[in-house]
Amino acid sequence: MNLNKNCTGFESPSELDRRQWLSRFGMGMGTTALAHLLQSESWGNTDSKRKLHHPAKAKRVIFLFQSGGPSQLDLFDYKSQLIKDNGKELPESIRKGQRLTGMSGNQSSLPLVGTPFQFSKVGQSGQQISEILPHLAQQADDLCIIKSLHTEAINHGPAVTHMQTGSQFPGRPSMGSWLNYGLGSENENMPSFVVMVTKNKGGQPLVSRLWGAGFLASRFQGVRFRADRDPVLYLNNPAGVSTKSRREMLNSLRSLHQHQLANSFDPAIEDRIAQYELAFRMQTSIPQTTNFSDEPEHVLKDYGPDVEKPGSFAANCLLARRLAERGVRFIQLYHPGWDQHGGLPGGIRGQCKETDQPSAALLKDLKQRGLLDDTLVIWGGEFGRTNYCQGKLGANFGRDHHPRCFSIWMAGGGVKPGLSYGQTDAYGYNVTDRGVHVHDLHATILHLLGIDHERLTYKHQGRWYRLTDVHGNVVKPVLA
Amino acid sequence: MRRTGNLRFNYPESLFQFPVFLWVCLAASLTHGSSPQEGKPLTGPNDNVHFNRDIRPLISDRCFQCHGPDENARESDLRLDQRDLAKKQLQGSSLEEIKLWQRINSDDPDFMMPPPNSKLSLSSDEKQLIGKWLLADSPYEKHWSFLKPGKVPLPPVEHLDWCRNEIDRFVLQKLETLGVKPNRPASKERLIRRLTFDLLGLPPTDQEVDRFLADESPDAYEKLVDGLLAREGLGERLTSQWLDVARYSDSFGYQVDRGRHVWPWRDWVVKSFNSNLPYDQFIIHQLAGDMLPNATDQQILATAFNRLHPQKVEGGSVPEEFRVEYVADRNHTFATAFLGLTIECARCHDHKFDPITQSEYYQLFSYFNNIDEAGLYSYFTNSTPTPTLLMSSGDQKQKLALLESTIQAKETELAALEIDATAFSNWFTQKENIQPSAPIEYRNFEDFKGGANLSVTGPVGKGVQLSGDDAIALKTGNFTRNQPFSFGFWMNTADKKDRAVVFHRSRAWTDAASRGYQLLIEDGKLSFSLIHFWPGNAIRIRSRKEIPLKKWIHVSVTYDGSSRASGLELFLDGQALTSEVIRDHLYKNITGGGGNNIAIGERFRDRGFTDGKIDEFKVFDRELSGLEIENLVKTDSFQKAKKIHLADLPDRLKNKWQEFFQIHVSSTHLEIRKQLGVLRKQRSQQVDGIVEIMVMNDRKQRRPTYRLHRGSYQQPKEEVFPGIPAVFSSKQIPKNRLELARWLVGPENPLTSRVTVNRYWQMLFGDGLVRTPEDFGSQGQPPTHPELLDWIATDFADNNWNLKRLLKQLVMSATYQQDSILTPDLIERDPQNTWLARASSYRLPAEMLRDNALAISGLLSPRQGGGGAKPYDLALSFKPLGPDKGEGLYRRSVYTYWKRTGPSPVMMTLDAAKREICTVKRERTATPLQAFVLLNDPQFVEAARVLAEELIQKHPQDPITIAFRRSTSRYPDAKEKKILTTLLRTQKKYFSENLEAAKKFVSVGGRPFNSQLDPAAVAALATVIQTVMNFDECIMRR
Repeated sequence: MNLNKNCTGFESPSELDRRQWLSRFGMGMGTTALAHLLQSESWGNTDSKRKLHHPAKAKRVIFLFQSGGPSQLDLFDYKSQLIKDNGKELPESIRKGQRLTGMSGNQSSLPLVGTPFQFSKVGQSGQQISEILPHLAQQADDLCIIKSLHTEAINHGPAVTHMQTGSQFPGRPSMGSWLNYGLGSENENMPSFVVMVTKNKGGQPLVSRLWGAGFLASRFQGVRFRADRDPVLYLNNPAGVSTKSRREMLNSLRSLHQHQLANSFDPAIEDRIAQYELAFRMQTSIPQTTNFSDEPEHVLKDYGPDVEKPGSFAANCLLARRLAERGVRFIQLYHPGWDQHGGLPGGIRGQCKETDQPSAALLKDLKQRGLLDDTLVIWGGEFGRTNYCQGKLGANFGRDHHPRCFSIWMAGGGVKPGLSYGQTDAYGYNVTDRGVHVHDLHATILHLLGIDHERLTYKHQGRWYRLTDVHGNVVKPVLA
Repeated sequence: MRRTGNLRFNYPESLFQFPVFLWVCLAASLTHGSSPQEGKPLTGPNDNVHFNRDIRPLISDRCFQCHGPDENARESDLRLDQRDLAKKQLQGSSLEEIKLWQRINSDDPDFMMPPPNSKLSLSSDEKQLIGKWLLADSPYEKHWSFLKPGKVPLPPVEHLDWCRNEIDRFVLQKLETLGVKPNRPASKERLIRRLTFDLLGLPPTDQEVDRFLADESPDAYEKLVDGLLAREGLGERLTSQWLDVARYSDSFGYQVDRGRHVWPWRDWVVKSFNSNLPYDQFIIHQLAGDMLPNATDQQILATAFNRLHPQKVEGGSVPEEFRVEYVADRNHTFATAFLGLTIECARCHDHKFDPITQSEYYQLFSYFNNIDEAGLYSYFTNSTPTPTLLMSSGDQKQKLALLESTIQAKETELAALEIDATAFSNWFTQKENIQPSAPIEYRNFEDFKGGANLSVTGPVGKGVQLSGDDAIALKTGNFTRNQPFSFGFWMNTADKKDRAVVFHRSRAWTDAASRGYQLLIEDGKLSFSLIHFWPGNAIRIRSRKEIPLKKWIHVSVTYDGSSRASGLELFLDGQALTSEVIRDHLYKNITGGGGNNIAIGERFRDRGFTDGKIDEFKVFDRELSGLEIENLVKTDSFQKAKKIHLADLPDRLKNKWQEFFQIHVSSTHLEIRKQLGVLRKQRSQQVDGIVEIMVMNDRKQRRPTYRLHRGSYQQPKEEVFPGIPAVFSSKQIPKNRLELARWLVGPENPLTSRVTVNRYWQMLFGDGLVRTPEDFGSQGQPPTHPELLDWIATDFADNNWNLKRLLKQLVMSATYQQDSILTPDLIERDPQNTWLARASSYRLPAEMLRDNALAISGLLSPRQGGGGAKPYDLALSFKPLGPDKGEGLYRRSVYTYWKRTGPSPVMMTLDAAKREICTVKRERTATPLQAFVLLNDPQFVEAARVLAEELIQKHPQDPITIAFRRSTSRYPDAKEKKILTTLLRTQKKYFSENLEAAKKFVSVGGRPFNSQLDPAAVAALATVIQTVMNFDECIMRR
């Protein structure tokens, strides 16, 4: 590179590849871990084989996080034994003295409770799915249901944090920020890690650290899209300022910066110019994404009536597809309300009503557009629920937190469709076959994206960190 | 050469040969993870290989994982961190004969090092470096930061005239060796702007700039420095930084994240900085102010530092799990903030890189493991987690002291008061009318209709058998701590209980910190407590003996209203039980939180009295005498005792009657009791009105600390005792927190002064001399100027840890006063400015960006201290909070309310630390999201408009020049003026044609628009001002 050593001025960088300049922004290609290599292509220093650790099956992830701990026993993990033994005490041979939460741990009695819902084998694959997920049942052949997921955490805070960051305690980067750091975005006009939380849902509180960047640079953190006038914090011009007025202002700002650049040598000034230009473009690209007016009627209908309500799970699912189309790398949805300590039959029915149709529609929609092949969709919560009843057994029973086994499903992006993976015992209490730890799940997700989980590392306070810490094995049998 | 060090791929070298220019950019935007080998390891002032500079970081990173200090992870019994243990691998008559060399140059996957499965590798440059070192007979050094900084002579330099103080000698010496000239001095405008931001976090005012420009005296700059150091804004600026270190937050964090009252600690920090409390005292007060002799409230308040970690309330959590987490957080914060060490690795195993064993980790842990704290704070009450300090005003303190002494005097008087023999005998002769105290509630369970609880045969008619999951609710029991009360009942325990709730008045166990009172069986023994917040604000006694099982026993409990453990008594079958005092520190109420009446046999999320039986449950609103208690067991004993004549009374019985007389009859006694009751009530009212703050206060009996296997609270191994890592070769082992704090700032400690001056260097120069301020260990970067670091550190400690003196010293240096202007040559040779041949430039920190806008618009509130302020953006936080009205919108950002689970989104966008954990360095990024904030956040929009209103009135002729100068501290040049004048014209046209738009725009924000002014003119000028406020020179520190 030719730099004028006499410092009489500054050679315009414009002759360099534009991407190179944008690369300095998190929102653009970013100084991301793998991005050095992606970028290096643009000036001919190519070694494309090393772009990723191995070829990626998935380019992006949509994680439909179901916060609160959905009951696997009432949705995916059917146990006839529980129905048979309804009301009987949880056998010690099954519990094996394992720790319970402080909520039911001191109960004098732990009566088993079977699911009140019908299950049937659906699709060619014959996956067993509960009657309260009728729409999802139609997509059964696309799903890979893991029934043997397990974690150590028994309360929401640690468990959600574990699922999202690989550690029970706060301070680590979230999965989305790891990917953002590792892969960057496919679209410089969009953030590469977007978070949406269903609006107006009670339930266990979520916290912003779940999509935080931990010790990674803050530009890798998730950008929360809100169902609001500003989908992104202060995206819109202030009241009274038109696009034209803003454009004129930014032109002047650019002139000031170019003038400054002419008098002094500092790449940071170029950065500043690009930063404001990119912001201006995002003021257009983001509202275009969040505005559904170009969606055909039948698509809207597929997602169900809630899609009309901004911030609903249905609307967020549709927005997730639109973001996926635009190359957003990690799209994280949160839907709270699965914490049925009591009143489970009614509660879980309500949750399914809100989520079943949109989740199924999203799969269908992605598939129709050919996006499901390289989009990994994940549905699941932070832990499962107990096979015994919390409090008094009755028609309106509840279930406590259960970390030893729970079910999630994945679809698209290189996972084996129509597969049921792993097994739990007849009481749905312990994993008996092919257990998958949360770290294993993380390793598998990274693998699908072309990343070796042991090699995506970041040095912080003297130590190299990974999403999977010092654990995790790729669950090979679920790979397509 | 690993330049970015971010990702541990085994890249071929060539991949890193991308243009230097990009590297610069990467370096500028990356803050973590840079390799110590940056730059050119083989060129420098000295071409020799230095173990600490060149080799240790390398072998630490690539070899120590398996061949370092961690015994359990060690492979092939080879340890490379100590020369005598590594010798065999390092020796040979030629390079080719040296085993280490063979290993690192081998292609054989079974032989090569690092092995393929480690996914680590050495570049050829790095191998060369190791080769050089091996050829020089592989000298080792103790890691530099564990060696005490010695007296460093000032190095000779050629251009002594450039140097303004000692600092410059070190900087210039290096530059002269490199043949690099320092940058020219910064212009006066740039200098005053830089200095004012660096010291106050605010821009200079127009007048301050004028004054400085006009002052041509040789000490003009020094006068400016002195003036700024004396300003109160200094404390706020320094506090802003310290809040990151202290992981300060106005809420508890984790998931539920309620608010907490900790801002008085923040105000203490501001005051301490402003009064220039010597930094060693600043450390001692925060770590152990409570243990200082005759500690003042302010010194105790300082220790809230150790309690600012996140705290948990989520139902069902295991309290010990989180209590251990709190202690660990204190320990990590201590190590990061003061020692610059990353000890958390050693929580689960011996440190892999630094000489800290797991046992040593828990030795340090034990200093912080000794307060009477709970693992959860209270969900059902708003009690302050113990230990606490009452934040009483001087007046309140005095009143309380007076009350205490009056109460004490009354208690002494009561104890000494003798029984009037005549009055007693007169009363006793009329004893026909004497009756034992009647209960205020009595349950005999004769017609009990249970569900899960069963009606069973009792000692008197029928009793009840409890399920343990179903409470029997009574109608009374909401007693205060000033009030005497008693209970009596029969019970029958089927088995030895580790824990069972017999009865209680409380909403819950850990979910209410047990607020109320409770009778439990613990390890088969009876335990009775009155509790405000367990364990630090409570009284509890426990019987020494276990209670008999499988038989009906009668249990009574009495309390005298004193708030002391000695006022509690337990009785078994009418006889007083010997008991031990478990807690004796109750200083706030025991009511509230819900669960106002007595409940028998069950409590929320606690272990109930499963299969226990109860009968004849009686509640008394007074303290019972021994006779009455016996009468509860043998219901005719009172009547029998009455039949005896005074003269025939045996001594034992006479004493009992006298006790009865004294408690219930004697008017002199009753009068004092009544007075005591009133006084105690006054005391409660007084104390209950005083807010508390969490602080440190060690238990008298040390809590044993164990090494926790894999860091888990569930796996305690051998006991460990206070101590500091052996690497410090300390002569004396600090016995407690106070001694630990003193050791930190004592002459033996090699780290604290270095870590401190490095952090202030970072604050004023953009980066520390050690670029990894959080890690002075072997994985951190060695200092760019080791001798300089040592010289300043020593000088700082020798001068009484005088912080203002240190700051002055740093900013008075010619190094600081250089211009920040870059040359292509320099940026190529020294992209990270490790040579200090220029001043650094970087975007202002989050707080300064916002405060700057408030300051230049005149909106900034001068109010200092107090509760957190809530600016506009908190309404858009993930955990929205209603913004303040008026002043709260315009306070300095150091006062912004910090909600841990949803901090100010503006601060977050602008790279403020999240403050989840101790953070000593922030990153600096540039994202479009930041542009949205600076362009569209009402805070910034309003500031521009308010300034526009002012300028239109005061400087109608040339508002642009004034606005430009106020935002950049310099006048615009002709080109700049022209750009902005053109913009003003087009904007004025736009807003005049769109008057409604103009009106909307000028109405943004809480400050009303001055309706006398033309909205279009103000809107247009405000747009111009926004342009200037987004201009590089307004938002960059240059």
